[in-house]
Amino acid sequence: MGLHSYDPGISPTLVVWTIPIPEESAQIDLGAGTAALHVSNICSLFDAFTVPNSLTPTHPLGNIVSAVFDSLDLQWSGVTRSIRGFGDPVNQFSGDFFETAATMEVTATTLESTGHGFRFVSAATTQVNFAQIGRETNGVFF
Amino acid sequence: MQISRRIFLRASAGAAGAGLVLGSAPWTPRLAAAEAPLVCAVAPQPIPHTNATPFGTIIHVFGPGPVEGIDPNTGHDPSLITDFSGIIAQADLNLSGTGTDLSTGESAPYEFHADIRFMKGLFVAADGQIHQGAFAFL
Repeated sequence: MGLHSYDPGISPTLVVWTIPIPEESAQIDLGAGTAALHVSNICSLFDAFTVPNSLTPTHPLGNIVSAVFDSLDLQWSGVTRSIRGFGDPVNQFSGDFFETAATMEVTATTLESTGHGFRFVSAATTQVNFAQIGRETNGVFF
Repeated sequence: MQISRRIFLRASAGAAGAGLVLGSAPWTPRLAAAEAPLVCAVAPQPIPHTNATPFGTIIHVFGPGPVEGIDPNTGHDPSLITDFSGIIAQADLNLSGTGTDLSTGESAPYEFHADIRFMKGLFVAADGQIHQGAFAFL
């Protein structure tokens, strides 16, 4: 079954691995220190097998193939650190940020029609390397 | 077995920290307070920060980490899009689960590393107009 690596590619404006989603899919309650992301049937996705293969223009492991996030549910809660009124004039952003815990459930499928049919179904979040929620302004809004 | 994802963000931090960070001055449009945000799917623009990967690609992203920044390419602005005002959330996680070959039905334990983020609010798109929307970094 080998390696699998999912991303939506880089946009024509050079935004990395970012796609529009319905606004109601993303919710935050900064007062409660919680947030949630619920999306399903994200079909503008590719399986590049590895990150280097995705980001190497020649795709040495072969062309990227079509994939789907059947469902993705992410929950943030439990504020562990608050950074209010933060500003970074070098990188031109500011805001209030709250580091939290998080858990995620995902089902991802590499389409069988690609010849690399594969499905991953998560069982548990085993480690939170970093998680945060917040409000921010950057660029012209900084 | 392991699903590789986002690992490069840490692996490339050293290279980019060695001086390959590029930037550009943000364009400053006149934002009239009375302008109502447009609601439609349009292309946002990337943050100015660039990160040179070991794979011959330059990408506009900071690796996950505190906003104070661990190094020049990690932490800092969690947003992927610039000229943005709104809410953000990000999570860098490891998951366990099961992978199944859809041709043979064979299954095996898999590990999954994910750096997932969302941004929701107002943004100045490539068309120079203020829009409202939500985006996910997957």
